[in-house]
Amino acid sequence: MKVDRGLLVESLFPPLFFLLVVWPLVALVLDVRPSGIIKAIGDPYFWSAVVNSVLCAAAAALMGVAMAIGFGYYHLFKRRSPLYRVADFLNDLPIALPHTVAGLALLLAFGRKYFWWLGENGLAFTLVAVVLAMFFVSYPLAARTVQAAVEELGTDLVDVARTLGDEPGEAYLRVVVPAIKEGLLGGALLSFSRSLSEFAAVIMFGGNVPGKTQVLASYVFARVEAGDFDVAVAASVFCMILAVSVIALVRSLSGEFTRAAETGGDTVRVSG
Amino acid sequence: MPLKLEGIRFAYPGREVLKGVETEVDDGEIRVVFGPNGSGKSTLLKIVAGLLTPHDGRVVVGDRDVTHLPPERRNVGYVPQDPSLFPHLTVEENIRYSERHGRGGEELFERLVDMLDLEDHLDLKPSELSGGYATRVALARALFSEPEVVLLDEPLSDVDLAAKAEIVPEMREVLKDFGAPTLYVTHDPWEAERMGDTFEVMVNGRTVRVSDVEEALEVLRTGGAEVARG
Repeated sequence: MKVDRGLLVESLFPPLFFLLVVWPLVALVLDVRPSGIIKAIGDPYFWSAVVNSVLCAAAAALMGVAMAIGFGYYHLFKRRSPLYRVADFLNDLPIALPHTVAGLALLLAFGRKYFWWLGENGLAFTLVAVVLAMFFVSYPLAARTVQAAVEELGTDLVDVARTLGDEPGEAYLRVVVPAIKEGLLGGALLSFSRSLSEFAAVIMFGGNVPGKTQVLASYVFARVEAGDFDVAVAASVFCMILAVSVIALVRSLSGEFTRAAETGGDTVRVSG
Repeated sequence: MPLKLEGIRFAYPGREVLKGVETEVDDGEIRVVFGPNGSGKSTLLKIVAGLLTPHDGRVVVGDRDVTHLPPERRNVGYVPQDPSLFPHLTVEENIRYSERHGRGGEELFERLVDMLDLEDHLDLKPSELSGGYATRVALARALFSEPEVVLLDEPLSDVDLAAKAEIVPEMREVLKDFGAPTLYVTHDPWEAERMGDTFEVMVNGRTVRVSDVEEALEVLRTGGAEVARG
């Protein structure tokens, strides 16, 4: 008997998708209690966690894009260099590496062992540590986005700029970087959203000090640990709304990019 | 200053594209290069521009061997198939791009804008231009840098026939007025006939001089490989 494979997929994917992806989010929202919302809103540590999350994620995203611009240069001009090959390989590492391990590595690299001269714990358990932990896990996303944008741009613009007198670095900064600004923005937003969600690396290296280095992810963890479940759920839904907003922004921007690419630029052709 | 190519050889991994190209283009001469897809025409232009390094042979401009100079030190005007205008700059900024490297000048700018009819387009962004005007800007930008050699790689491939009929005589006039040796790659016999002074066909990794477009097509159709093997 011939099996309709399309029907098989259609009968398996929707229920599994709703059960394993949608249902946990719905369950979270269903569990929100007004008392939890009120307690969270009145908790100064919740607000400091929000501020820490947003500011540290923004700083990590800016660092990520700056580094990604450097990586893009190597992708364009020095693809055969050992440094590029190592950097390209390591961009995939945070996908496979447990983030607790990343946090421990950061703790050893920037903690009291090598950075004792900066204070009792080096950089550990400070907001700088939170930013570095977020950067470590989110930079590869910015790098991959910029790499794709540079690849899609092709080499003609750079070739022309060089025949007009630019050295590679000038051509990259004057022509390529402005031409991939949408890619840079996309990389920054992806990096920002990944940073917002980071928990393990942040807690290992930055700690979980309420009002000091605590971020939203670690705030939720601390509330659950303390048995303050209503507040944890309310804070979690706040995180979800924040995440959905950022993803919606990324998606709408990528839609704009696609439309711009399809029309050959940012507006339609009108002259001549 | 004439352009001389001596024994240019180049291979991509696993495929030799240029097998000893020899040619010479005089000042003010527009040399049209014909050839099937993948025959190495664009590769040849990139070698002259310094964007690729030949495995063997020399590129000589006047009496200067530029084979191992980077593109920014060659003084070559290059228009690729896609006009490749810088999307974040206006038409005027595109044309004046090489000004910061001490090239061009007000008089040349005015002359190019006038000859290529760009006066009303100077404040536009590339995305607001038609294919024909984008090509005019790309040519103006290349010539503004006062190149010693001009390289045009199928510059009108995206331009419709009506615009082509208008732009080809203008481009020819500008290039003749400019007076540098020009290599012009195209597939289009109509365009080649109206643009070129001399003609060359690329077959079997070498170039073959022909007297006109008809002969070029004949070489391509029948005995190209045999002629090239000579």
